[in-house]
Amino acid sequence: MPVIEYKCPSCGSGMTFDSTTGMLSCPSCGRKDNIEQIPDPLKQQVFAEDEVREYHCESCGAVIVTEPETSATTCSFCGSAVVLSDRLTGKLAPQQVIPFAISKEEAVAAFKKWCRKGLLTPRGFMTADRIQNITGMYVPFWLYDLLSNVDVRGQGTQVRSYRRGDYQYTETDYYEFYRKIRLHYVRLPIDASAKMDDQLMDKLEPFPYEQLKTFKTPYLAGYIAEKYNYNSEKLTPRAREKTMPYIESYISSTVNEYATVSYAEKQIDTTVKQAHYTLLPVWMVYYNYKGKQYTFAMNGQTGKVVGKPPLSKGKITAWFAGVSALSFLGLKIVAWMLGGGFI
Amino acid sequence: MNKRGVTTYLLLTLIALWMLTPLTAWAEQTPSEKKLIYDEADILNPEYIEDLNALANEYGPKRETDFIVFTTDNPEDEDVVKLTEDFYDERAPGYDKAHGNAVILTLEMRNRDLYLAGFYKGEKYLDDSRLDKIRNKIAPMLTAGDYHGAFAEYIRTSYRYMGFRPGVNPDNLLFDTTIQLVIALVIGALVVVVMAFRSGGRVTVNSRTYEDSGDSGVISRQDKYLRTTVTKTKIESNNSSGGGGSGGGGGGTTSGGHSHSGSRGSF
Repeated sequence: MPVIEYKCPSCGSGMTFDSTTGMLSCPSCGRKDNIEQIPDPLKQQVFAEDEVREYHCESCGAVIVTEPETSATTCSFCGSAVVLSDRLTGKLAPQQVIPFAISKEEAVAAFKKWCRKGLLTPRGFMTADRIQNITGMYVPFWLYDLLSNVDVRGQGTQVRSYRRGDYQYTETDYYEFYRKIRLHYVRLPIDASAKMDDQLMDKLEPFPYEQLKTFKTPYLAGYIAEKYNYNSEKLTPRAREKTMPYIESYISSTVNEYATVSYAEKQIDTTVKQAHYTLLPVWMVYYNYKGKQYTFAMNGQTGKVVGKPPLSKGKITAWFAGVSALSFLGLKIVAWMLGGGFI
Repeated sequence: MNKRGVTTYLLLTLIALWMLTPLTAWAEQTPSEKKLIYDEADILNPEYIEDLNALANEYGPKRETDFIVFTTDNPEDEDVVKLTEDFYDERAPGYDKAHGNAVILTLEMRNRDLYLAGFYKGEKYLDDSRLDKIRNKIAPMLTAGDYHGAFAEYIRTSYRYMGFRPGVNPDNLLFDTTIQLVIALVIGALVVVVMAFRSGGRVTVNSRTYEDSGDSGVISRQDKYLRTTVTKTKIESNNSSGGGGSGGGGGGTTSGGHSHSGSRGSF
């Protein structure tokens, strides 16, 4: 059967991953198992691809309703944590995972705290009491290792200015420069899920890579997990594009001895050394406010929240008026101190 | 409305009140009209003279200085500076006392010469350069024959300039309330836009986050010197006066021993 559940060896209840201890734990009897020591049932099973169209819950026998991307979920009838193992094997086998460090309760609390900090969010929104749904989700990412060989040529100038007698002299030295640069970027994350907004996912970074673990299915117990929609070749252009500003800034840092720089030739040759399929923890928060749904994402390790909150017109006006008034007062005071009188 | 909003509106109200205070102060003045417009060349209508006199009487007390206009046909063909100095010595004007604080605009119709002079407080607050500014402002109006407008402008500008500490440039854009307001509104708008932009979370990774610094770096570099170019520009010395063809002059001392600032020109 391609459905994996974790039954507690002591009492038979469904076990889930516990973000506080990092262990597989039983909510009924409190048993905790170290994930590293559990034999992963996934490794023992071999499936033909697309063999199964229907999944049945091991506990209650109900049909598990999932989207085609879902690889781990909970049974909608009995609530058991289930892992759909054929969606995690073969090409779809994740290599690494960063488990959740923030529990659902902590996530809700952190989200409420974040809402209160919003300086422009409406007051009704700040109480954060309309959280419609909060889901812990392992989002598929590719972590790229990219090696870029850069050759740049160009002309730079150094300018000196000095005064002699009644004249101001400006001396400009022209140089021709060449730089050969090797840049190695490691574990650059690119979100591989079609569902997730790329910009939102980019803002969630950085993920603490010291928490990276070899993938084991028990980490997914109790959470939703998705499989990738795009393979690593397909996302390579995005990865390259993401490193471009990094490379550009490195290049300009190597020629900062020049006052002005003009590039004649810039050759950037980037190769993908490797790409690891990795699941990263994200709390998705769905929030209803005045009939509209807002989606937020929270880094499941650091608690960083991203997503566009509604903006209050009243608060925008108040801030605009307040800051303008204070600036005006400040300018008046500056003018007065410079000797300008108050009118 | 929340607390922050209330504070903001209170602050705005306070500023509005404070801006209005000078207006209420002006209204309290009792009009004891003093003759300050001496139209001896008879170039102004009587109602214009009355109008200007009222204006000078309104602004003068606030700066404790008499704003005087003196027009003359100059029957004895004397120099405009001498005319002004004699006017001060003989008629002994002054806000606080005879030979006191005064600013005099002398319009000499024979040679179409113009002289502005500041005495005592007038000298301290309206130095040569400030008087030059006033003269440059009103000379075109005088040339066009708008005497009433030019005199009114002279009174208002002198009043305004005397509100600035001596030595600062009164035309500095920073002192302009409209400019201050525009700058303040721009700052307010910028702050709000940045706040709105950042409300959705920011990218907190930079170019170094994913860089493997041990395996990244410059492998080889070459810098070849090509040439040097030199340009030289003459440094303008600051001692040239900005008076142009029609201006110049400056202050002096009257034969009665009263020191004054000044600016002369023609129109």
